[in-house]
Amino acid sequence: MIEIRDLRRAFGGVMALDGVTLTLADGERRAVIGPNGAGKTTLINTLAGETAPTGGAIRLAGRDITRLRPWQRARLGLAHVYQRTELFAPLAARDNVALAVAARRGPYRMFRAVPRSEYAESEAVLERVGLAGRESVAARALSHGERRQLELAVALAQRPRVLLLDEPTAGMSPLETARITELIAGLDRALTILIVEHDMDVVFRLADRVTVLHEGRVIADGAAADVRGDTRVHDVYLGKAVTVA
Amino acid sequence: MRAALVAAAAAAVVTFPYWSRPWASPFATTLLRDALILAIFALSLDLLVGRAGMPSLGHAAFFGAGAYAAGIAGQRFATDQLPVTLGAAALVGAALALLIGVLVVRSEGIFFLMLTLALAQIVFAIAFQWTAVTGGSNGLSGVGRPMLAAVDFSAPDLMYVLVAVTFVLAVLVLWGLARSPYGRALTGVRENERRMRALGYDTARLRLSAFVIAGTIAGIAGALSAYSTRFVSAQDAGLGNSVRAFVTVLVGGAGTLGGPIVGSALVSLIERVVPSLLPTDLRIADAILGIVFIGFVLFARQGVVGLGHATLLRVSRR
Repeated sequence: MIEIRDLRRAFGGVMALDGVTLTLADGERRAVIGPNGAGKTTLINTLAGETAPTGGAIRLAGRDITRLRPWQRARLGLAHVYQRTELFAPLAARDNVALAVAARRGPYRMFRAVPRSEYAESEAVLERVGLAGRESVAARALSHGERRQLELAVALAQRPRVLLLDEPTAGMSPLETARITELIAGLDRALTILIVEHDMDVVFRLADRVTVLHEGRVIADGAAADVRGDTRVHDVYLGKAVTVA
Repeated sequence: MRAALVAAAAAAVVTFPYWSRPWASPFATTLLRDALILAIFALSLDLLVGRAGMPSLGHAAFFGAGAYAAGIAGQRFATDQLPVTLGAAALVGAALALLIGVLVVRSEGIFFLMLTLALAQIVFAIAFQWTAVTGGSNGLSGVGRPMLAAVDFSAPDLMYVLVAVTFVLAVLVLWGLARSPYGRALTGVRENERRMRALGYDTARLRLSAFVIAGTIAGIAGALSAYSTRFVSAQDAGLGNSVRAFVTVLVGGAGTLGGPIVGSALVSLIERVVPSLLPTDLRIADAILGIVFIGFVLFARQGVVGLGHATLLRVSRR
């Protein structure tokens, strides 16, 4: 579904991505882990089209998308859950999701009210992520955990083929983390997911395969169970004193 | 029920000169006519400022372009027919907005404000100096009468009706846009453009489309101004007129349909009625307007409509 070949991105003299090559099969769930500054968020932003790569190529379902703009990639089925919540703060949760639903049908529909079907679909997605009963609350009035749920709802409402999740559980309580992890685990298996996450419980619950980034390079890549036992991963990511449970 | 109320209000506005005659002077009709022209102009600006979050300080360029287009088209094609002159105004307003819009829609905030200001000043400079076409600093006099077939709208009462009907249509169009998926998408662009792009919206094109719609309506407002005074001044396209529309929107309340309408009533009162109550050598209407504007910016960002809304909420909670 996604082929990344020799992807590079320099910020000044720093190589945030230094020749990353990755392939995600259809329906694969891939976690990308690594210490802070490893290039994880840069990788996600480059896939989403918000950061232009310095070199390399990205293909989505066989099509070269390296030069496409973010909105064009979204149209091709890429959805992005940001590390820091990006919502429409004063709009109700329902309207936040409805904008994602409406995106598929295009914005140039003037002189008629927003169809009820779009709200009905939005409410169904909100219920799926556990926000039933909160439809009318403005995004900015939701709790942090609820905003993360809403962020996920917005991405799901796009009906993507590929979901890019940048630390979906960041700042959540253990209870909220467990809930959203189960929610993601229960998503359609046809959906390809790339997740950047620090919480190892979440990573090993969700990922089929794990890629370890370090200083912009892939240093390990394999089935979740194999990476768990890889000593290099322990060294660079977890620090020598820490072990993965 | 609501539609009936709106229809009744629209009918009352359009027929104002006829039912107000026993107690109001013809001056009231002229005053209301000019206020409604300002309201159309301000409503078009609010589509940008309030709805899409694009603070344009160059909106008079389209107002002026429409005014000139109506006057010049009438003279060049030797016709007073509204479909020609008003059509020319709308078309030129749209075309100029497309031209300027392409250059400005990718910038935001203060940069957008400065770019629209600078480009509008170029339009003003052209209007001021291209004497052969625009009359330059003397202005364009001899603007034709607005005619529809054999009906001449240049008599004061009919002129008012023409303006009021256009006003009602503009409100309906902008109301239709506001509640449509298109209007909500503009709100999305205002609130979080990055998220909109991530959802698959071509936000630059959305902003450009709003810019062109606003420019078209501003051009029509300019044409109505030209018909009313039979004259176009280069100042119609100038910074002063852009600021006036901006102040009208902010004082009334940005992002609402009522705001620019209330704002235009308030601005018209300060510009036209307040001076008549003061000694003639005391020319402080602009200063009063400035103070009112600063007051709203400091203490009531949501404008008159926002203040009213907040008061209603407070009363209903008691």
